[in-house]
Amino acid sequence: MTAAPLVTVIGIGNPYRRDDGAAAAVLQRLATQWSADPRVRLVELDGESVRLVQAWEGSRHVWIVDAVRSGRPAGSIHEVDAAHLADIDDTGKRLGGGHLMGLSEAVDLAGALDLLPTDLRILGIEGVDFDNGVGLSADVDAGVDAAVAFLSLALRDTLA
Amino acid sequence: MTHEHRARRFEVDALARVEGEGGLIVEIHEGALTDVRLRIFEPPRFFEGFLRGRMYTEPADITARICGICPVAYQMSACQAIEHALGVQVDDEIRTLRSLLYCGEWIESHALHIHLLHAPDFLGYPNGIALAADHRAEVERGLRLKKIGNRIVEVVGGRAVHPVNVKVGGFYSAPSPVSMHELATELRWALEASLEIVRWVATFPMPEHELPDHTTLVALRHPTEYPMLGERLVSTGGLDIDPSQWRNHFAEEHVEHSTALHGRMLVGGDYMVGPLARFALNSDHLAPHAAAIAAEVGLTAAERNPFRSIVVRAVETVHACEVALAIAEGYTPPARSFVPVEPRAGVGCGWTEAPRGMLFHRYEIDAEGRIVTAQIVPPTSQNQPSIEHDLMHLVEHSLHLDDAALEHLCEQAVRNYDPCISCATHFLDMRVIRT
Repeated sequence: MTAAPLVTVIGIGNPYRRDDGAAAAVLQRLATQWSADPRVRLVELDGESVRLVQAWEGSRHVWIVDAVRSGRPAGSIHEVDAAHLADIDDTGKRLGGGHLMGLSEAVDLAGALDLLPTDLRILGIEGVDFDNGVGLSADVDAGVDAAVAFLSLALRDTLA
Repeated sequence: MTHEHRARRFEVDALARVEGEGGLIVEIHEGALTDVRLRIFEPPRFFEGFLRGRMYTEPADITARICGICPVAYQMSACQAIEHALGVQVDDEIRTLRSLLYCGEWIESHALHIHLLHAPDFLGYPNGIALAADHRAEVERGLRLKKIGNRIVEVVGGRAVHPVNVKVGGFYSAPSPVSMHELATELRWALEASLEIVRWVATFPMPEHELPDHTTLVALRHPTEYPMLGERLVSTGGLDIDPSQWRNHFAEEHVEHSTALHGRMLVGGDYMVGPLARFALNSDHLAPHAAAIAAEVGLTAAERNPFRSIVVRAVETVHACEVALAIAEGYTPPARSFVPVEPRAGVGCGWTEAPRGMLFHRYEIDAEGRIVTAQIVPPTSQNQPSIEHDLMHLVEHSLHLDDAALEHLCEQAVRNYDPCISCATHFLDMRVIRT
């Protein structure tokens, strides 16, 4: 039986909702560096909570990338420990497409079933346009590059 | 406390959601129900426009993005409609693989809805997480079953979410015998587990309720199979049509309170699609274990209590496991994974049974293979009028309940239909406004 990868990076979103496709773009760009590394798993999901829990199964370190909407400048990067997810909930439904509730539920469900990884962190990319359509806003596209650089450093640290 | 002499208004705020957004308003004045409005904002309208001018090869991948829960349904209906337009007939072996892929989606979708979205309503929990705390073994069993559904979609469809292996004419590649052998092993457990799930949900306390008399049940029908990939559309009113006749009998119309089009029958009256309708019109074609367990728990084709749809979903899960197991056990790779397809001008219609009900696609294609027009009719918009009327019927007979109990009953009743909005969440921010 093949061992689970040490790190799973999950991208949530819908490329047909413009900036909601930010996470999918992050995964595509990360794949050029990391898809061949057996210690890393890259997974694109839609935010459904059970799929989230099952996608990170076996990994000790999990990053979840998603588009967020908090009023900060477009393309800004937010890093949140899953332990503080409830604080974000209180500020409103910020995530494009409503994934936050799926993510929050996933964390709660995983906790109830003892399926939480050792380290679960969320990387949000501030979006501005969540209408139907394809293509990222220019600032968000730059934010995707920043997120890829950030995650690549984090992956190297974890795997060192 | 009585409520006969004051106005009550229940409102569920709009919910952000990838595959659907919506809300629910129930208004009661002077002790009498005055209005029920289910507000749904659906993405298919955008996709219909987005598809115009694109090649016939693209809808299978693009429409899979409409719904994260049932991408296979969108892919299968799209392929069927485009193949109809282009005069393509797929091989039996390809059709069998499509059935297997569809089984995966039914297992995944039904397992999620039963365990985390609907069971909490019946057992008195606010959500699936609270249910998991007290019924851990049942929830873990359900999630393992869901994972097997995911695995089927991954093996046949190329990946578990938004499958990429589907194309007009078949599949880009066929699964390996090794992967199918592994699936069969998992499905033997799944079949046994699904039978236990039917017995579990059959013990749930069921509200006494029946659909309004005028509701017509509508589902696909196949000569020998329980219909995932059905051929004709039939109804409890005697309808029996092929896909190209759909527009002669059904239409979609705008209503003020929803961006989703409401489905209606041209002859008038509500109609309902989904598990209860499928079972009523096709229970004679269930696989043997599914038929036996349905009989064991007293489910018959005459069932009209929409709350019992959770039992029907469980029986359909048994059926999907049984069919998938037979396909996996008897698998040999097909002679070819797809049939050649040449573009030509034409119009094609197709339909399949998504977990929530019949999903209709229609495409007009030009001589170069570009899409001129697209029409996508999802089950949730078809059911929207019947959900509203079912809720009116239910509330009229439940006005004696206090506000909290009535709200709970309404939410539970909406989830009987597993619409996109409630498959995502346990209705956030529901509140009562007294005026």
